[in-house]
Amino acid sequence: MTEVQLVDVEKRYGSFVALQKQSLTIQQGEFLVLLGPSGCGKTTTMRMIAGLEEVTSGKILIANELVNDKPPKDRDIAMVFQNYGLYPHMSVAQNIEYPLKLRGMDKATRNKRVLEIAIKVELESLLKRRPSQLSGGQRQRVALARAIVRTPKIFLMDEPLSNLDAKLRVTMRAELKHLHHELGVTTVYVTHDQMEAMTLASRIAVMREGRIVQLDTPKNIYSKPDNLFVAGFIGSPSMNLIEGDVRSGFFRATAVKIPVQFQDATSVVLGVRPEDLKIVSKNSAPITASVYAIELTGESTLVTMKHEATSICVRESADYEARINDVCHIAARTTGKLHLFDKSTGQRISTCSVKPTKC
Amino acid sequence: MKKKLIWAAEHALLVVVSFMIIFPIFWMFLTSLKRPIDAYSITFNFQPTFENFITVFRDPWNLGSMVLNSALVAGITVMIAVPCSSLAAYSFSRFRVKGRKILFFLVLSTQFIPAVVIVLPFFLMFRSLGLLDTRIALIIVNLAIVTPFVIWMIKGFIDALPVDSEEAAMIDGASRLRVIRDIVLPMATPGILTSSIFCFILTWNEFLFSLILTRRNAVTLPVGLVNFRTERGDLWELMSAAGVLITVPIFLMAILIQKHFTRGMTAGAIK
Repeated sequence: MTEVQLVDVEKRYGSFVALQKQSLTIQQGEFLVLLGPSGCGKTTTMRMIAGLEEVTSGKILIANELVNDKPPKDRDIAMVFQNYGLYPHMSVAQNIEYPLKLRGMDKATRNKRVLEIAIKVELESLLKRRPSQLSGGQRQRVALARAIVRTPKIFLMDEPLSNLDAKLRVTMRAELKHLHHELGVTTVYVTHDQMEAMTLASRIAVMREGRIVQLDTPKNIYSKPDNLFVAGFIGSPSMNLIEGDVRSGFFRATAVKIPVQFQDATSVVLGVRPEDLKIVSKNSAPITASVYAIELTGESTLVTMKHEATSICVRESADYEARINDVCHIAARTTGKLHLFDKSTGQRISTCSVKPTKC
Repeated sequence: MKKKLIWAAEHALLVVVSFMIIFPIFWMFLTSLKRPIDAYSITFNFQPTFENFITVFRDPWNLGSMVLNSALVAGITVMIAVPCSSLAAYSFSRFRVKGRKILFFLVLSTQFIPAVVIVLPFFLMFRSLGLLDTRIALIIVNLAIVTPFVIWMIKGFIDALPVDSEEAAMIDGASRLRVIRDIVLPMATPGILTSSIFCFILTWNEFLFSLILTRRNAVTLPVGLVNFRTERGDLWELMSAAGVLITVPIFLMAILIQKHFTRGMTAGAIK
């Protein structure tokens, strides 16, 4: 159980900056998720912690020890790769056994340990098979077993679930979460799937273009996004973002007039999540638009509405019914869920409350 | 109807091409079994004999020492070239060193030089070293010829291997050399075997350098064939017998390669 520190770590490939001077402390026993679109530097960050990639500048400390120049084998880490990185010429048992073998553990102890782990991940009947004879989910479990067969200081997971089908992904997600709870090992997890990040993480580091744009708990990332990027990236469907101005206590945009407690400002963006809005019958509601699309997701109905260029999505109950082109009125469902962002910097400037439905 | 015609045309062409390639070899096998009187006759009706295969090993032909020379030169060349090339190929494939591409090009570019151009310098060098007509000289020359080719071949096989497994092994606690031993070599075995056999065949068949650099002691089989052109004329039946002796090991290896070659193509990545 270990703390990992990145101090002013930078990575360049020639003139291309993959990671701009970033500092990050991963606390002991934490499940930290690096989340971001492809090319944001999340995998690079993880590979530098693993020692598979050299840092251009800065320091990486594992358990307060500088590891910049240590090869991966001396860092006492375990990693699960996106393509699993299994050894195709070895049986499942040999795959799981390999880290122990490299550490000079005797044969009998190795066999015992392999069997224990195999039972834990339900592979005991497949130990003699080759990786090529396994399904995706089974390979994934072999990779996981190989990582947990010894107790490393840190677990690194590079999109371990992305090659699995949707159903298996959900099951494995729960297993990973349980495993982390059971072992309590500091874990760094890379993904571009916000759902995985939200469900697994103790903290999420949202990354973009080689920078960490927000580092916080899933709850705060969701309810208080620091900037427009995080606001738009997290949540499905994503947060409604409406450009407009604040004038004399009202946020105004085309067909939108919402009371906010904020001083006058131009070029701001109002962010509000679909579930924080509702459709009301009152004419005086702050937003008016006509129905553009209705999508039933099962547990709720997503109603997308448009007025000129403004598009707004509202999450309604599953039994909500409307017809396309119906004119609807929208109001906030709860207080404290409206976010104002500065349009030019993208930073959040205020989260303010409005009284529901009343204008 | 049209399909059938195309099928027929295709197969006719295959038969013609196969015949053109196989017939001379077949004729050589046939001639090797003929007595001298039958050697020039175009007949299938002759008394087959294995006499020629015994004669070529007797004085004055002494094919035995040439077989030994060829086997030693080719064998030792493979044993040195393949391990060295495997390490070089791995480095070329995996390490992002500055000037890597230029270096690799330089290694390959040695293959563009016609052998005739460098045979004379080699001759002069080995004369000053006193290595003319020795197997060592042949091994050195063959290494120079074969190594770039083998590096290039094995690099191709290693390039096709997934890096994931190697990185996984390094994280599991293996050093770079351990990774090569435990992960890369087992996975690249079909490729390395194929390359070894190619390397052996190239060396085994090498003619020009052997012709110029040897006289009596280190003569190899392909050069030995020339001995059968005597004042008495070309001894076709003996030459064919010797030809068969040269061909058979290569033939067997080609069959081996075929099996491994397809494995080399299909083995590798697990996704």
